[in-house]
Amino acid sequence: MADEVVRLDKVRRDYLVGDQVTTALGGIDLVIERGEFVAIVGPSGSGKSTMMNLIGCLDRPTAGSVKIAGDSTNELNDNQLTSLRSKAIGFVFQQFQLLPNTTAIENVMAPLLYQGKNTKEAKRDATQMLTQLGLGDRLNFDRNRLSGGQQQRVAIARALVTSPDIVLADEPTGALDSKTGAAVIELLKDLHRDGRTVVLITHDLEIAASAPRRVFLRDGLIERDERGAK
Amino acid sequence: MKLLGTATLALNRIWATKIRSLLTMLGVVIGVAAIVALTSIVDGASQGINKSLATLGTNQLNITAMAADSLTEQDAQELAALENVSVMFVQAQNQGTIATGDKRVNARLVGVSAKYFEAVKPEIALGSYLSSSSFAATAKDVVFGADAANDLGLTKAMLGQTVKLNGQDFRLVGVLDDQAGFGTSGRVYVPIDSARKLFSQYPYVSSIVIQANTAEQVDTLQLQADVLLRERYGLGAETTARYTITNQASLIAAVGSITATLGLLLTGIAAISLIVGGIGIMNIMLVSVRERTREIGVRRAIGAKQSNILTQFLIEAIVLSLAGGVVGLILGEIAAFFLAVIGDWVFSIRLDTVGLALGFSLLVGVVFGVWPARTAAKLEPIDALRFE
Ligand SMILES: Nc1ncnc2c1ncn2[C@@H]1O[C@H](COP(=O)(O)OP(=O)(O)O)[C@@H](O)[C@H]1O
Ligand SMILES: [Mg+2]
Repeated sequence: MADEVVRLDKVRRDYLVGDQVTTALGGIDLVIERGEFVAIVGPSGSGKSTMMNLIGCLDRPTAGSVKIAGDSTNELNDNQLTSLRSKAIGFVFQQFQLLPNTTAIENVMAPLLYQGKNTKEAKRDATQMLTQLGLGDRLNFDRNRLSGGQQQRVAIARALVTSPDIVLADEPTGALDSKTGAAVIELLKDLHRDGRTVVLITHDLEIAASAPRRVFLRDGLIERDERGAK
Repeated sequence: MKLLGTATLALNRIWATKIRSLLTMLGVVIGVAAIVALTSIVDGASQGINKSLATLGTNQLNITAMAADSLTEQDAQELAALENVSVMFVQAQNQGTIATGDKRVNARLVGVSAKYFEAVKPEIALGSYLSSSSFAATAKDVVFGADAANDLGLTKAMLGQTVKLNGQDFRLVGVLDDQAGFGTSGRVYVPIDSARKLFSQYPYVSSIVIQANTAEQVDTLQLQADVLLRERYGLGAETTARYTITNQASLIAAVGSITATLGLLLTGIAAISLIVGGIGIMNIMLVSVRERTREIGVRRAIGAKQSNILTQFLIEAIVLSLAGGVVGLILGEIAAFFLAVIGDWVFSIRLDTVGLALGFSLLVGVVFGVWPARTAAKLEPIDALRFE
């Protein structure tokens, strides 16, 4: 039997702003298996970030069920949801989102420390991860002294260091030039090749084409679910 | 995350925004410095007052005549004969003039009986007290209080020389060092018999001082003295027209309660400024939470629990407040030191002041840090990450 890391059943997410209800996701069924590389593609406002938040255990659905690594997020309180997120998810954001006043290694250590690891272990693992991503000579640089591409690699190291079930990347190339962006996509492909589950969120069809599976969103619904290289 | 790690985050942030952190803690610095300095002023003042009261002796009762002919030396002799009286002396005093060569000023002339110096033991600056030979009928010796000596510009060379009291020649035998004293300014002391010749009518005295053997006997003695005088003069309940009896111990207690009230009042004012300082910290922390909404979102996304965020911001507020407390304590003690030098009292760092200052600033940090920290912890991760 295949190992489902993500399972969405009739997932609905409504936002209430004032007395105005916006339906960001209107009933989504989606299964992602361990080791898949899936691109979630769609125009702005189609519900991609909302879906990322649900898969990333940052948010819970208004209706339907979200199962991540076997746990149903509906039934978890904030603390349990945080534990699940910490164990199962590694985030890569569009604007890198390195922590302020913090060096590369401190950024990568942070998720380990939040898991309760001691400083020594965290330092060892973070050093190893950064070195693996070619940043072994930049450990103590803070974000002002790193290029965009380097910052995004630190962010990827931070996402990977806890060995999460899923790497969730939301527009990871959005703030990079095309060459650096391409390198980041190559890096994600490498991760997939190493057996990791990667979910890439993008509005860019060309970037989406690099993923073997593409889920197209429009107005909060799945329009198409394509597999195979194009 | 372990507490130490969270504390490191808070300290890093404070260090990374040094100037802002300093300005944030300024309110607490001022509040604590004010508390420390004011406490030491009140301490010093009561120290001074108590010292001058204590030099008069705590076992002592002062019976003061309310009119020139209210009390006599016979009263004094009878009072001295009461049980448990160890020492008795009388004073007769009046305004007069003191002069040397070309200079003449007003002073308070005090005639004292032989036991005065032995009982009061004032500090001596030059020469000596009035000796037993000073009390001989023909001797005309005088001892100056420090202020009177200053007024005339007396020097060591003047010892043994002649000074004029109300125009009559006296020999200067000593100068007291009673400057810090209380109500002793501009006084000169002569034997009571000399005072009789200068201004005072025999047998009247202006005050009688009796001293009990022990402090416990003072209250009883006061009652006995009152009964004795009342009987001698056939007085009813109303005795204040003729004399009043004051008890040094109760005076010290009264001063103590006044300075305690004063201290409480000043500390209250300083505490208000400390609260204002706390509100300053809360204000900046709330701004900081808003500015760092994204950071909070990212931290939540990479695994920070609400409690981690709460602790991080709470520690930040506490460290700011406590650091403000430490700086304020140091500045306050420095101010207290200089005040002690100026006011001529003993400087000491009181442990209870240190504890109070640090305890209060800790409390301010906790109280005013909780709300911003809770605000930060309660942010929804998805809203925090979307925040522009
Ligand atoms: N926190 C929110 N509150 C209110 N409306 C939201 C919120 N997040 C998203 N939306 C709305 O939901 C819809 C989908 O948004 P989003 O998931 O961000 O789409 P995408 O990432 O594909 O651009 C949009 O109409 C957006 O305005
Ligand atoms: Mg989006």
